[in-house]
Order: sequence, then C-alpha cells, then structure tokens
Amino acid sequence: MKVSIVRGGGIAGLVTTTTVDSASLASQEVAELRSRVERAGLSDAPERSGASGGQPDRFDYELTVEDGGQAHTVRVCESDLPGPLRALISYVTSLPGRQERVGPPG
Amino acid sequence: MTTFDSMPACCIAPPDLLEAVAGQGTPEEREAALRTLTASETSRAQRASVTGALSRLTLTIADVAPAPGMVRTVYDAENGGDFDLPGKKRRGEGDPPFGDAAVDEAYDGAGATYDFYRTVFGRDSIDGRGLEIVSSVHYGNDYDNAAWIGFQMIYGDGSGQIFTKGSLTKAVDIVAHELTHGITQFTAHLVYSKQSGALNESFSDVFGSLVKQYGLGQSAEQADWLIGEGILGSALRGTALRSLKAPGTAWSTPTGGRDRQPAHMRDYLDLPDDGNPSNDHGGVHLNSGIPNHAFYLAATAIGGNAWERAGRIWYVTLTERLRPRSDFRQAAEATVRVAGELFGVDGDEQRKVRAAWQQVGVL
Ligand SMILES: [Zn+2]
Repeated sequence: MKVSIVRGGGIAGLVTTTTVDSASLASQEVAELRSRVERAGLSDAPERSGASGGQPDRFDYELTVEDGGQAHTVRVCESDLPGPLRALISYVTSLPGRQERVGPPG
Repeated sequence: MTTFDSMPACCIAPPDLLEAVAGQGTPEEREAALRTLTASETSRAQRASVTGALSRLTLTIADVAPAPGMVRTVYDAENGGDFDLPGKKRRGEGDPPFGDAAVDEAYDGAGATYDFYRTVFGRDSIDGRGLEIVSSVHYGNDYDNAAWIGFQMIYGDGSGQIFTKGSLTKAVDIVAHELTHGITQFTAHLVYSKQSGALNESFSDVFGSLVKQYGLGQSAEQADWLIGEGILGSALRGTALRSLKAPGTAWSTPTGGRDRQPAHMRDYLDLPDDGNPSNDHGGVHLNSGIPNHAFYLAATAIGGNAWERAGRIWYVTLTERLRPRSDFRQAAEATVRVAGELFGVDGDEQRKVRAAWQQVGVL
C-alpha cells in the first residue's frame, strides 16, 4: 500500500508532498496505517468543490491511497477535514519512514 | 477624505455568543453557529445601501454608531482544529501579559496592525468599525501556518520544517499579512483565484511589509521588503518567504526547489485553478510577485516613508475601488487614477505609479 499526501497553500504557498510505502514500514506501522486508512473512509470524504475561490492561506490537501492495483484520490480543504482524515494525515506526515519534498506550486 | 468602506455588522445573535457556540456547542450547534457567522457577512453587504444613504447626508456609520476602538482577545486552541475554536480565553483587551509567548505576541501583533491602520489610514479595525480582533494560538500540532479564517486569526506553533518553532506570532509582517486578508474580505473581496487571488495575496504582502516598516520607522529606502525574514525552517534555505524588491530570490531547497515568483508579466505563471493543491488556486502566491514588485518600484521611486503616499494610494484602491474579480490591469489603472485624485493629476506620484506598472509589464 502506498499513501501520498499533497499539501498546498498556507501563507507560504508551498507544496509539500509526503509519501509512505508499506514496503518500507515496520509491520506494526503497516497495521496502524491500514486501520487509519479504513477509518478515514475515503470514499465518503467530502470532495473539494473544483475551481475554488476559498479562503486565503488555508491548506488544501490531495490524498491518494494505492492498494492492490487500485487507487483512490480525494481533495479536501483543511477547513472541511473530518477528524478521521485529519488523523490519517497527521499519522502519515509524522511517520519516520516517510519521503517528503517541499517546493513551489506548479 | 471620507470612506464608506465599512458596513455595520448587526445580527440577531451577537458574534461573541455565536463564537462561543461554534467553540463549545454540540456538532449541530457549532455548524449552525458557523453558518450564522458566515451569513452575517452577507447581510453586511445588504446594508451597503444604508451606508450609501448616510454618505449622501455626509454622515458615516461612526457618527450613528460610535466604534469601540481596539478590542483584542486571544485564546488558546490547545492543539485543536477548526471545531475547537476559539479555545480557552487567555488575554482580553487591556489585560496584562499572560506569560505565554504565543498569546502575548498574537496580542501585540494585532495591536501593531490595528495601530497602523488606525493612525495611517483612519481605519477602525478589520471591518472599519471596531471589529473585535480574535486570535487563537497553538492551533493544531506543529502547524506550519497562520491564517485569517473569515472571522478570526489562527496561529500554529510551526514545525521547524517550513517555519521555525514559535515564529508565526513573532513576525509582525506575517500577522499583518493575515489580518489584511480580513480587510480585503470586508472591502474589495477579491476572489481567491488567478489574478484577483494574486492581487489579494499582494495587498496582504504590501501591507504586511508596511506594518513592519512603520513599526521600525524605516523609509522605503531602508526597508528590507521581505516577508517572513529569518523565520524559515530547515526544509528551506534563504532569507525569507518572499521579496517585493526581488521576487523569485527569497529561498531554495536542498533538492532544487526554489522561489518561482515572477517580477514581470512576461514570466506570469498561468496555472489552472482546478482544485489541485499543487496549483495554488491558479498561482496566487506566485504571480503576486508582479503587483508586489510594482508597489516596491512605486514606493522607492516616490521615496520617503512608503506608507505615506504609495501606501495610501494602494489602501484607497483596495478599500474603495476594486471589485471581487478585478485583474492586474484594472488594479493598475485604479492606482494610477487614485494617485491623481490624492496627489494631483500628472503629479510626481501619479507618474511614478504608472511607470512602476509599466516596468512590470502590466500597463
Ligand atoms: Zn496570504
């Protein structure tokens, strides 16, 4: 399983991409990751409404879970983040085995 | 000069109560309170006609409903998210320092920003009529951001990665940048997308820098024209987040990322506003470099304290002339007109403002 999180916006306007691959995690971490993905209920997550407007300097997220040849992606604004999705994001972005890249938009 | 940029904010439930409900009620109550807080902004717009009528009587809202002046309240979000706001009250207006750096810096930063707008432009708070400035610190965990969220400020502690820990409340230009998003919300209401969004960002950078310059007593010549100087975390190398003097030069990353802000229309980055977080609402934090640089060029050409002439021209443009969908060209033309109205047609200021926009390729 692979989980990637793209975070854009904020006052800095930077794009941070965080990726974790279950192949490089300890078995306990994989179990925790799977359970958080399940609890996040990605298929029910509120979709960010396309071209936006929206509030200045808030974070926008795109979260992709690839598992067993299937990929699921959701886009959500920080202000609409449900608790379980917030918990998944904070777990992934604090895993020691994560890959992280910071850069400008575009 | 009289301004009518502000409308009275009256709603049936007082904002204080709504915010308490938004912070402490059941999920349903919170949602209802947040909806009401948003709706009261809409009703403000409907009161524009009242303000218009008053203006014909040469009265302002201040004459019929005197504003209370500066009122700051700082809360501790205790690492919670939006549904936990505002949090526990830590310091109200006039209270002694609380003893938590984030609380006291948020209080002082709101004060510096209020004082600037009040003293320099005669503006009474975010909405122009004494809106209480509510701030919640310790938002989220290691949260690398600060934001005006429509009715209050939130500040994270910083993770050390994008921002050094504790820096977001320390940098007064960051505080003023965010509070200026509030002023834009109550005035031009620039849509946060593509050029109008980049203008929204640029006005926040311009006045963020001016609040800092005003506090330090620096002339246009002496100012560093940086946003977020000295607060970058370990993922970034460089001096600041953005530079109005030299857009595109503020930072880089060890893996080859760099500040990509353009300083001229020929380098405009036409990103789509498609909901993809990588595209930054159509490059609002990138293309803001162009109007940012125009302001820097105008202010340094005019000389002296940037807030006195260039700043006033930009302030009147933001609060009285622009529309939600205004683009770079409309903003440029408006500043040129306003410069003529304030300081004389074909005067030094108007010529230098026009030249600045020509140098960045907008006019
Ligand atoms: Zn901003």
